[in-house]
Amino acid sequence: MKIIRSHAALVATILAATPVAADPPALTLTGAVRDAPIGLSRSELKSMPQHELTTSTSVTDGTPSFKGFLMRDLLARYGAEGTRVHAVALNDYRIEIPISDFEEFDVIGALYQDGEPLSPRDKGPVWIVYPRDDHRELQDIRFDTRWVWQLETLHVE
Amino acid sequence: MSGQGARELRKTWASYAPLVPLLLIFVGSLGLALAKSSALERDMRIAATQNMLWVVTQTQMENLMLTLAAGTRSATDDEIAQRFDLVMSRLNLMNEGPQARYLADIGHLDTVQLMSRDLLALDPLEHGHSPELHAGLFDFGLRIQPQINRIANDVMTTDWGKTAARLDDYRATQQVIILSVALALTAALAVSWLLLRNQRRLYLTQMERMRTTTLLEQERDSAAMYRDFAAIVSHQMRTPLSLIDSAMHRLSRKGGDVTAQDVQERRAIVSDAIGRLTRLVDTVLLLAKLDNDQLQAQFAPLSMCRLVASLVNEAQLRHPERALQFTCAEGPLMVQGDPHLVCHIVDNLLSNALKYSPCDTEITLRVFSQDGQIACSVTDQGPGIGQRDIPYLFDRYYRGQDHVTGCGTGHGTGLGLAVSHELAQLQGGRLTVYTCEGKGSVFTLWLACAHPDTAGDP
Repeated sequence: MKIIRSHAALVATILAATPVAADPPALTLTGAVRDAPIGLSRSELKSMPQHELTTSTSVTDGTPSFKGFLMRDLLARYGAEGTRVHAVALNDYRIEIPISDFEEFDVIGALYQDGEPLSPRDKGPVWIVYPRDDHRELQDIRFDTRWVWQLETLHVE
Repeated sequence: MSGQGARELRKTWASYAPLVPLLLIFVGSLGLALAKSSALERDMRIAATQNMLWVVTQTQMENLMLTLAAGTRSATDDEIAQRFDLVMSRLNLMNEGPQARYLADIGHLDTVQLMSRDLLALDPLEHGHSPELHAGLFDFGLRIQPQINRIANDVMTTDWGKTAARLDDYRATQQVIILSVALALTAALAVSWLLLRNQRRLYLTQMERMRTTTLLEQERDSAAMYRDFAAIVSHQMRTPLSLIDSAMHRLSRKGGDVTAQDVQERRAIVSDAIGRLTRLVDTVLLLAKLDNDQLQAQFAPLSMCRLVASLVNEAQLRHPERALQFTCAEGPLMVQGDPHLVCHIVDNLLSNALKYSPCDTEITLRVFSQDGQIACSVTDQGPGIGQRDIPYLFDRYYRGQDHVTGCGTGHGTGLGLAVSHELAQLQGGRLTVYTCEGKGSVFTLWLACAHPDTAGDP
């Protein structure tokens, strides 16, 4: 009960802080970014340069193709200054990711899987996807915990 | 020889043959262990990322949240819609890929598919929000809660079973590794043993070869030695014999005109020749006894002065023309030795001095004691001995390179000094030489004092 209320309160805060957002925000940036918090709608995320990658994942069969924005582009665009992000999912899953991951690898915030938009009923609206098949060091279960799906908030530190 | 070498090599390689199966078993078991551990690692990685229990409990939690929201009047439609989405996403996750296969394995996939179908039938996006829909969602949540609970239960027991199986695998792999390491150790030990054995064999073969070679060389040496020996001895015998022969001829040629002086002269020659022959025979006999370890020395205390004095007297009688000096230090000067052997040595040194020094030079014999030993030195004024001859002076058959001639006739046998040297050693003594080229030599016989306490210092 409490959780729902606080969540609702957070949504209310975000709505108040982003006056001209027509769509409801799909992703919120907080912490060390310019003009935090920043609520980003799905269309805003789609308008960023899109990057494609194909990789196997730990929860699907085969090698789905993903499309979305590069995480480092997102952080650069909103002036993030820090060494790590705390990624929070819709179900309140939390994990800390070093920003160096985004600089070393082409990690994307996927909006599409196999051409289909990711929905909150699946792993959307944003799923952090690592190019795991391209780098041997990423084929490590320690990185698998950073594949946050239903990403809701990125807190930069 | 090379055929034998090739055979040896083949034999060496053949000795390693029993190791081949051992090596194959070792490599095979190690390969098996590696494959097993690699499979285990892959299995564990998949199990860790799959983490089915987490997926199921998350679904359970989201379902609980939706049920709560649907049963609470204050919850907004948006909140309920978001909760609906989250439950839907969990069910979708369970219905796809590895998760679906896992559930099928434990017989729960149908249940989850039914849950998805039933939940979609209550989709607020399609039917719009209404108290009836919310009540339906509340009923749905209550109904599936125990089902999800049972799935979680089964997943947990299945995971534990899998972990137990993995542990068994792990233990089996460990045993294979232990076995292969044990095999490797055995193989290493066997190889070391074989190497050592082969090395020993090689060593023994080499030793055998060396021994054969040495024996062959010894055989050759002793053959040469006997050849030399025969040649020298027969030559040395012939000289005095021919001297006796010619002396007798002259006497018989004179017939009745033989004077007493003639007889006296010939007697001296014959006596000298017989002396030489006797010494030669004596030396040869001693040599033979030395070589066959038959020489039994009779040790007794001897007065060195008395013994040398009588030898000097005898020599003076034989060689009245030579000047012989003899001095004896004070004191008893008793040695422990065999009188016959000591006589032989001193006599040999004295005849050498007579033979190799000019007739008009003096020969001095001195008996004295020094450092608890009794010495008898024989000093001549001959030409001395060349430096290159010194090291071989006491070797058998070695005769000086410069054939110096002194007062005597004929060459040496190359045996006298060698035998004297060996006889001195046999009595616990030694023979030394000091020489000065162009001036003379001093040969000294050193023997142990019979009564060291009473031996006077020089």
